[in-house]
Amino acid sequence: MRERRVVITACSAISPIGYGKEQIVESLVKGVSGVKTLREDDLISPFIHSRVYGTVSYPIAYDFSRQHRKTMGPVAYYACQVAKDVLEQAGLPPEFVTGGRLGVAFGSIHGSPTVQRDIYRIFFEAKDKASFQGIGAVDYLKSMVHTTTVNISKMFGITGRIISSGTACTTSSQSIGYGYEAVKYGLQDAMICGGADEYDTITVAVFDNLLACSTAFNDQPQQTPRPFDKARDGLVVAEGAGAVMLEEYEFAKKRGATILAEVIGFACNSNGGDLILPNLAGITKTLQLSLENAGINAQEIDLVSAHATATKMGDIIEAQAAGAVFGPEPYVVALKSYMGHTMAACGAIETVLTLYMMQEGFIAPTLNLEDIDERCAMIHHVQKLIEHPVKTAAIQNFAFGGVNTSLLIRKLT
Amino acid sequence: MTRQDIEREVRDIFLRAFEIENPEMDVNLREAYGFDSIDAIELLLEIEKFLGSELTQEEKKQAMDIRTMKQIIDYIEMLAAKRKTPPEKNK
Repeated sequence: MRERRVVITACSAISPIGYGKEQIVESLVKGVSGVKTLREDDLISPFIHSRVYGTVSYPIAYDFSRQHRKTMGPVAYYACQVAKDVLEQAGLPPEFVTGGRLGVAFGSIHGSPTVQRDIYRIFFEAKDKASFQGIGAVDYLKSMVHTTTVNISKMFGITGRIISSGTACTTSSQSIGYGYEAVKYGLQDAMICGGADEYDTITVAVFDNLLACSTAFNDQPQQTPRPFDKARDGLVVAEGAGAVMLEEYEFAKKRGATILAEVIGFACNSNGGDLILPNLAGITKTLQLSLENAGINAQEIDLVSAHATATKMGDIIEAQAAGAVFGPEPYVVALKSYMGHTMAACGAIETVLTLYMMQEGFIAPTLNLEDIDERCAMIHHVQKLIEHPVKTAAIQNFAFGGVNTSLLIRKLT
Repeated sequence: MTRQDIEREVRDIFLRAFEIENPEMDVNLREAYGFDSIDAIELLLEIEKFLGSELTQEEKKQAMDIRTMKQIIDYIEMLAAKRKTPPEKNK
């Protein structure tokens, strides 16, 4: 099968450290954290030990008509907004957008938990048949696992492929990877790829019960998470959305599109075993496979965007794998240190932030990395902001279920 | 319940649930206001609340051909009349 080159022509993110390039770059440069105190939910929040959350605390001026809003929960608002941004930035002709050669690869970890919670509230509290009328005809459309993907396709009249990965923390890195493969192998000419997740205390409770959440910095939210730091004590759940527009290179070049970077390789594999514990062999293999897929050497990688959630074992295993495959040279940044773990959105948000650093020629330091854990010391951590060109970057993400991804992007010169 | 009461209620439902202000009586709601199948299902739920009575599957199926405001009002008028009729005469 003929392989085509794939480029990124637009990107956008809604994150706890800002919406859009200007705000996000400013936060990265100034070392601003988006972690805040957990909001009360009148449900389970009083029982959660971790009192921190990566929060989108600013208003977003949505402009969606009722025709679209009626099937959207909060997660779809995030998703449609970043999708709208990348469509506007890319400037694709309207007939192309609706013509069937543009597809959508997008996801969230489980649709809209806010809407699901309202459904369950009625389900468990309903006293008679009439009470069930509270479950609206559109509640499923708002809450289903592919709600982000199809609300995007509906809003913009996109008629191409729909890929809706729902693999927890690798949801959006898979979206970009599978979107890349769809364009690379000629199945589509362009793909909107990304992921989103909304504010959700249930996710915090899940990680809290697994003792994976940060609890030692409840009174100083901005001091956590602390990837690769000796004092790290777990992840911080967060919300947000990220999207990129992928296009076939010749198509993008011909229409004079701004090319932000080329996607040069992608790999995804499964640990084939435990669904929770990080797996050194599985992660190492993913990173190797992505290099093979791109046909490049490890020495060509300038920057690694680590998954680094700040759990005790996860960071060690990741550092060992990155050290073994990429060696001690490339800079490594853990972008979750700024905002926590945005779940389904993290792969896309971290790709967008990497693109911003690539464009602006700087590498942000890992926040809160004050005392490097010696078990994570075999890689080149960034502890201070540095001005440095980034040509080739690796973005890696790992998920519950034993799913690993590695995406390689390169700035065109 | 008069026809005017029904019309007032339907206009209120359209404004509240569908953000459609003062829809015209005889236009095709889908073409004029983008009123689609999802809205139609929501409307049936609203009608059940308004009448304080559940619609049968048969009654709901009768609504599937409705295209205009006038037809909606006719439909509710028919349902309301049916519910006023004593059961034995309804056979």
